[in-house]
Amino acid sequence: MPERLRENAVKLGYAALSFLAFGLLWGFVANYTAVGMFFPGPVTTLRYFFAHFMEAIGPGTIPYHAVMSLKRIIPAYAAAAAVGVGLGLLMAMYWPVDALVRPIFSIIRPIPPVAWIPLAILWFGINDESKYFLIALATFLSVLQNAYDGAKAADQQLIGVARMLGANDRRLFTTVVLPGAVPYIFAGLQLGLNAAWGQVVASEMIRSIDGLGWIIIRGTDSNNILQELAGIVMIGALGYALAAALRFAESRLVRWNKRGT
Amino acid sequence: MKKDHRKQYILLSFLSLLLFFLVWELATDVLHIFSSLTLASPVEVVKTFFYKLSHKAPDGGTIQAHMWASLKVALSGYLLALAIGIPLGIFMAWFRPVDLLARPVFDFVKAIPGLAWAPMMIVLLGIGFASKAVTIFIAGMVPCVLNAYSGIKQTKDVHLWVARTFGASRMQMLFRVAIPTALPFIMTGARVALGSCWMSIVAAELIASSEGLGYMIQQCRGIFRPDVIIVGMLCIGGLGSLITWIIGLVEKKIVKGRSHDA
Repeated sequence: MPERLRENAVKLGYAALSFLAFGLLWGFVANYTAVGMFFPGPVTTLRYFFAHFMEAIGPGTIPYHAVMSLKRIIPAYAAAAAVGVGLGLLMAMYWPVDALVRPIFSIIRPIPPVAWIPLAILWFGINDESKYFLIALATFLSVLQNAYDGAKAADQQLIGVARMLGANDRRLFTTVVLPGAVPYIFAGLQLGLNAAWGQVVASEMIRSIDGLGWIIIRGTDSNNILQELAGIVMIGALGYALAAALRFAESRLVRWNKRGT
Repeated sequence: MKKDHRKQYILLSFLSLLLFFLVWELATDVLHIFSSLTLASPVEVVKTFFYKLSHKAPDGGTIQAHMWASLKVALSGYLLALAIGIPLGIFMAWFRPVDLLARPVFDFVKAIPGLAWAPMMIVLLGIGFASKAVTIFIAGMVPCVLNAYSGIKQTKDVHLWVARTFGASRMQMLFRVAIPTALPFIMTGARVALGSCWMSIVAAELIASSEGLGYMIQQCRGIFRPDVIIVGMLCIGGLGSLITWIIGLVEKKIVKGRSHDA
């Protein structure tokens, strides 16, 4: 255990150093070059950022907007991930399901979820329903293919052995196919999370009354780069936290398999 | 999948597609479950597509004009992302101090969706070509760097040792061993970056633009023309697929005969 702790401490140390170096570089550019005339330095940005944990931007403080954004992504992502993984696995296991779904999926898949935004707003209005739809769509598209690939990649020899030993479809699934597919599924879940978070930000930038994406786009109204930077920092931090949470969940659930993420 | 299933598979796929379009057509043109203000029928979509090839109404440009406008910006940002991102990724992976210092900050920037940079670019560069191109550049750069980095990182030590035994300098090891090994990853990065870039141009045009496919579908939402919206969406999907396929061809040529044992 001390070895792991030491590793993590070293990594943390380098991360701190990295951010410090970056901050210094940024500060130098902002304070000593012409860029500083229209771009704020790190100290100003951080001060603004933390100040707005107390003061509101629009309808609420930064944490308020963060909660709004999270409120949108979490239910949509969870539901779409469940459906996407389920359907992907079904498609891989039963070819009729694949035959039914694949043609339509192939037509819809190339269309970026952002391109759905106008149609979604036309159908669901400018409230959260359209956002749930879009986030779910983005997640679903990313998750399904990976789940399918994961199930398809099941070791044929293992399947043969299991069948020979008398396993029925369900046993086969839970003991051979599913465990083998898990790394792929989690890779797809990470991609889906990335897509979903991007979708939240995009839809909040285009039509919304609150949220982190809203903070950024409203910064253009008053040419307020500070506001935009504050939004970006929060978005990055939360995006990173969500991805880290997913990685943690994976490491807990899949103890036997360490992917190189 | 057994051979006797193949014919049934194709038949089932075909029927599924047919059923989808039939239901769609029924729901709109025949039964009018959806008004033509919210969902256009497939027939309407096809008609509008051909109409838009030569008419500027109702959004101010033909489809080709919008396609070209979007492509211009997307490709500029994309090529720039390739030119800067790939060398940067290689640089970061090859030189340890750079890796240790740059990695944490990069991991943070990676979590920021490319589109989030758009408003800042608009404030700095105004609404127009430059701000969109830079946003796309940022969006495309992340996958390029990440994949080039991974590619170099997974160069087998054994290969490098062999090179060193033959007296190769560090630079020669980089160019003769590491980079060729990394090529499949770099190409994957190029493909992923293209997807990101294409998505970003559409998004950027939805926010602030006066031309392009994203602009077209946003405009037509305001005037309740779902037929043009759907045409636009299909064009976006179609163009994206086309460019991806072209990249795939390039990838095959470059990575001919190299298999990366992932």
